[in-house]
Amino acid sequence: MSRFFATGSDSESEESSSADEITPKAPGTTFTKQSLLLSDDEEDTKRVVRSAKDKRFEELTNLIKTIRNAMKIRDMSKCLEEFEQLCRAFLKSKTIVDKEGVPPFYIRILADLEDYLNQLWEDKEGKKKMNKNNAKALSTLRQKIRKYNRDYETEIASYKENPMASADEEEEKDEVESGSSSDSDDEPADAKSFLKKKSATEAPPPNASKFLKGAADEESSSSDGDNEDWDSDTSESDSGSEDETGRSTSMAVNFLKKTSSEGDRHTSEKKKEERKKRHKRKERIEEEAEEEAQEEGEGEWEKVKGGVPLVKEKLKMFAKGTEINTTVVVKKLNEILQARGKKGTDRAAQIELLHALANISNENNLGEGILVKIKFNIIASLYDYNPNLAAFMKADMWKKCLDCIDELLDILFNNDKIFIGENIAEDSENLASDSQEYRVRGCILTLVERMDEEFTKIMQNTDPHSQEYVDNLKDEGRVCGIIDRLMAYLEMETKGSTEEVCRVYLRRIMHTYYKFDYKAHRRALGLQGETKSEQDAEESEGEDSAFIMDRLCKYIYAKDRTDRIRTCAILCHIYHHALHSRWYQARDLMLMSHLQDNIQHADPPVQILYNRTMVQLGICAFRQGMIKDAHNALLDIQSSGRAKELLGQGLLMRNMQERNAEQEKIEKRRQVPFHMHINLELLECVYLVSAMLLEIPYMAAHEFDARRRMISKQFHHQLRVGERQPLLGPPESMREHVVAASKAMKMGDWRTCHSFIINEKMNSKVWDLFPETQCVREMLVRKIQEESLRTYLFTYSSVYDSISMETLKEMFELELPTVHSIISKMIINEELMASLDQPTQTVVMHRTEPTSLQNMALQLAEKLGGLVENNERVFDLKQGVYGGYFNRDQKGGYQQKQGGYNRDQRGSYQQKQGGYNRDGQRGGYQQKQGGYNRDGGGYQRQGGYNRDGGGYQQRQGGYNRDGNRGGGGGYQGQNRGGYQGGGGYQGGGGYQGGGGYQGGGGYQGGGGGGYRGGYKGGYQNQDRRDY
Amino acid sequence: MASRKESMSTPTAPMASTSSGATLDSPVKQIQIEGLVVLKMIKHYQEEGQGTEVVQGVLLGLVVEDRLEITNCFPFPQHTEDDADFDEVQYQMEMMRSLRHVNIDHLHVGWYQSTYYGSFVSRALLDSQFSYQHAIEESVVLIYDPIKTAQGSLSLKAYRLTPKLMEICKEKDFSAEGLKKAMIGFEHMFEEVPIVIKNSHLINVLMWELEEKSTVADKHELLNLSSSNHLEKSLQLLMDRVDDMSQDIVKYNTYSRNLSKQQQQKHQYTQRRQQENAQRQTRGEPPLPEEDISKMFKPPQPPPRMDTLLIAGQINNYCQNVKEFTSQNLGKLFLAEALQGHNS
Repeated sequence: MSRFFATGSDSESEESSSADEITPKAPGTTFTKQSLLLSDDEEDTKRVVRSAKDKRFEELTNLIKTIRNAMKIRDMSKCLEEFEQLCRAFLKSKTIVDKEGVPPFYIRILADLEDYLNQLWEDKEGKKKMNKNNAKALSTLRQKIRKYNRDYETEIASYKENPMASADEEEEKDEVESGSSSDSDDEPADAKSFLKKKSATEAPPPNASKFLKGAADEESSSSDGDNEDWDSDTSESDSGSEDETGRSTSMAVNFLKKTSSEGDRHTSEKKKEERKKRHKRKERIEEEAEEEAQEEGEGEWEKVKGGVPLVKEKLKMFAKGTEINTTVVVKKLNEILQARGKKGTDRAAQIELLHALANISNENNLGEGILVKIKFNIIASLYDYNPNLAAFMKADMWKKCLDCIDELLDILFNNDKIFIGENIAEDSENLASDSQEYRVRGCILTLVERMDEEFTKIMQNTDPHSQEYVDNLKDEGRVCGIIDRLMAYLEMETKGSTEEVCRVYLRRIMHTYYKFDYKAHRRALGLQGETKSEQDAEESEGEDSAFIMDRLCKYIYAKDRTDRIRTCAILCHIYHHALHSRWYQARDLMLMSHLQDNIQHADPPVQILYNRTMVQLGICAFRQGMIKDAHNALLDIQSSGRAKELLGQGLLMRNMQERNAEQEKIEKRRQVPFHMHINLELLECVYLVSAMLLEIPYMAAHEFDARRRMISKQFHHQLRVGERQPLLGPPESMREHVVAASKAMKMGDWRTCHSFIINEKMNSKVWDLFPETQCVREMLVRKIQEESLRTYLFTYSSVYDSISMETLKEMFELELPTVHSIISKMIINEELMASLDQPTQTVVMHRTEPTSLQNMALQLAEKLGGLVENNERVFDLKQGVYGGYFNRDQKGGYQQKQGGYNRDQRGSYQQKQGGYNRDGQRGGYQQKQGGYNRDGGGYQRQGGYNRDGGGYQQRQGGYNRDGNRGGGGGYQGQNRGGYQGGGGYQGGGGYQGGGGYQGGGGYQGGGGGGYRGGYKGGYQNQDRRDY
Repeated sequence: MASRKESMSTPTAPMASTSSGATLDSPVKQIQIEGLVVLKMIKHYQEEGQGTEVVQGVLLGLVVEDRLEITNCFPFPQHTEDDADFDEVQYQMEMMRSLRHVNIDHLHVGWYQSTYYGSFVSRALLDSQFSYQHAIEESVVLIYDPIKTAQGSLSLKAYRLTPKLMEICKEKDFSAEGLKKAMIGFEHMFEEVPIVIKNSHLINVLMWELEEKSTVADKHELLNLSSSNHLEKSLQLLMDRVDDMSQDIVKYNTYSRNLSKQQQQKHQYTQRRQQENAQRQTRGEPPLPEEDISKMFKPPQPPPRMDTLLIAGQINNYCQNVKEFTSQNLGKLFLAEALQGHNS
């Protein structure tokens, strides 16, 4: 405050009086709120209003000042800008204006501005001289103000009639303005201004200096005036900042206050008297002022009591000579705690106070009980320090808290006579007597849990790439230590209930499950001797984390009553298993838990944990070479494309429609701290590679399948993205590598595929992140070889008549038995139409694969089937009464007399019998007659493509080349065999045979097969030609 | 190749026979094309058309009795979206005027279009041919199939809309009833007009001379045995059409179902009304006023059937193509077999 500098030489009393002034007015809710008894609601609100008003009006006056300055220098654009701001500011303070009426200074500026503008407008000469911007601004401003002023016409008119001291100096005007403004205000403000005036008269030196300065410099003095006017504000903010900046300053002030408090009260009383004399007519104000004064007294008193936390002031805490015993301390403690949670309590001071109390009790040897009690409260108030649940504790605060808990635990361990529990009633506590057990209300477990949560919050809110994060993370050891100690404590008999033990176990588990146990790993590998540092040696003395996990989790499984803890424990257990490559245990546990069924009912954090576990499980499966399992486990997470969100590792950018600020906050709170993250790139890579290993052979096998499904949509998406690339450079990112590898694999080129999947880049990006890098890579190579072999066989089998396994072995660098087993498996699964020739070690291909043209024809036939079916319906509709179609379902499908068309019962394509699919009972690739061998049977199964008998594909014989069975066969169109066999496509005769394509029997086939079988019901009788 | 063109390239027999009935009352029974026109069309396609893109142009000529002589043609310029204000009519007029100045036939007698695997039966073709035929009764559309031509046999066909279809197009009544009344099916949409290619004697003489001198080896595209590519393409296209057809049918199906449902409702409504009125009558109250039922039940919009018809026509066309192609190929295969047998 400039005033303080200006009046540096002023007497102490002046200072104190000003301080005195501050205290009552300072709507410093701090004090008023503390004096609960006296705080008057009505007054409270008034105070708030006043301060808000002050703030707004200050804003307005500031703006007005700049406008006036701009007017002086004829800067129209500035004027316009400021005017717009003014309007906005005025609009903001609308509520206040509504209550108080339009402030006169505002009206004044409006009127002045309009006059000024009009004047400028008239001045043609001046206007010409203006630059373009200004002229433009002038005209807009003029229009604006005209429009604007219409709303305030009456006020402006009244102002113009009686322009208050408009001829006065600017500065004075300001003064008056504020005076007048407060005139129209509520009385309290008035009182204040009076008070101020009075203080001005009482203490001429500062005022004089002020005026002097005012004369010297208009600007600063007016601002000074402002300062004067809004004195209360600044001082308030000051005191506020004092609160914040630290205890020491506030203490200093408090100290000051305290010393002068007695005198102050007198002086204020005196002032009050004077005031009374002077302004008797304003009795109400007086009353209020009195109240204020009283309140001020109260406030001071409270301040003295509460604000003296220094140890050396402890005499203040307890009157001198009071015998300090447990009861007194407890009373004091309660007193302090009364203020807890109230608005405006100085929380820092409170903590300090409690510390002091602890010291006192320590000094006076009041026993452990009371100490524990106080400690509990200290920790609680440390937690209270941040009122907002979303905000996180400062790291140093948290460390303090950690220390406290440590100490508390020390006490508890040293003295097992202390009995704590949250269920102990306040009055049944026993803090004093040494003879009995101490009984203290409080729950250490809750405190530790809270501490742990705060730790998580701190980690969430620290930049993970900063040194700070590392520093914070170092404390994790301490947290674990505390949890361990607590565990030990609670495990002692009678100390903790099973429920509590479960809870603390879960805490322990939560701190263990995501950490890879390197020493156990090393031990497993038999390399224990190679511990590098002392720390490692130290660590390796402890038991395996696996063992710990097992013990803790099993306890929870057995004892826990709440579902949530058990669920979490199971998930963590699985995670831990998976992390350490114990795939079967992990999988069995997951399957036994049946969590998949009901996890969607769990709360989000548990779901996140579940997702993490599934992902870990998938990665584990991948490491073990269970590609399919890996894919299945990761499918859910990856297919949504929101892996990041699902794992709680970051928020996705979404528009605000889907998520408002509140939700975002909640989601932020759920995030997993960075050190527990699962590498998303690794995850995606594992998923894509698994998908590649599954999808590429599948695609090759089903190249011509009309309705093949995708195994992995995401993988296909990546492939498409890769294809869309206009220029194909060497792969850069992980995805590009996988896409490139997939392309190579499609051609059966395993070497290229291998070089794309495993290389420097991919190693550093992905594979090196696995603990057993080498194994994983070996597994991958092997898988790539195997799957490439399969792909190769699928893709190129049609080119070979036979292929030697030896060659395959060399091509894919696999052992002969492996090749043999892969091919055998393919043959058994009917994926490959071939047989093994043992003596020569060759695979003999059977030419049964339909060519692409044949495939196409099959597809076409299928489509035509659909078409005919659709046509049927139209016809049905026409034929029947309108009920016909709707009754169809009751009748059980249309025209099913002969099992014809209807899909539901027999004869649809998808049906076993004579169906399209390969595993038909009768049909398929191996039908009764001779299976694969070329003569006889052949590709088309018995019963043919459509429906009952006959149909598109003939009953006997098929696409056989040799046509032995068909007799003559082939294209010549003899009766049987050949492409168009008996009862086949074109009826009895072959292609140009009797039936003929467009002939009488035509399409319907010779032997009552074909379509006609289906619906004799009048269809073809009526309109054969249409068919 | 030139020598082959000299001879008549007759359209396939079945098509001609189906349309023969319709040709009788048509003003054009035969088309005579100058070799120049054919060459110009082929050149046009080779220069500008590729893949599925088609090229189009204007035919010029004269009508002599019931024979349409096409003596010249010129292409429509390819124009992109950039010059959208390009005026085609203006261009055509300009072109024809210029041609008249050099004493070439300048009468507009139709237009030509290239095709991709015989897929030309489309709405666009129908519309433009309709407008041509509407304005100039004799006009035809020539369909040039470059793919078949590349396989060794010139494929050029002339089509006209049948009078029945003209009627329908004039009335713009494409509802199912309208088509039924007109007794029009996909077979009756287009009529094919036989084509004769004729050259002047001078050119014939030149040909003879050239043939003797020509050192170019005969190309035997005609004997190409590979079939699957062409068939696959055709099947693919055919399949697409079939899909379209299915969709159309489903659409029609829904329509008829809606219609019958509505009729049912209407029926119920009138019955209820009648009952009510009868009751009222017994009670001696005045009957309820007859409301406009058609207002209450708006009949669903019947789907236009023209597209279906066109698809059917197109499918038919494809089938003909495939059939033709396969029968030719079979012949070739036997030929090859016989040759092989002979050699070995």
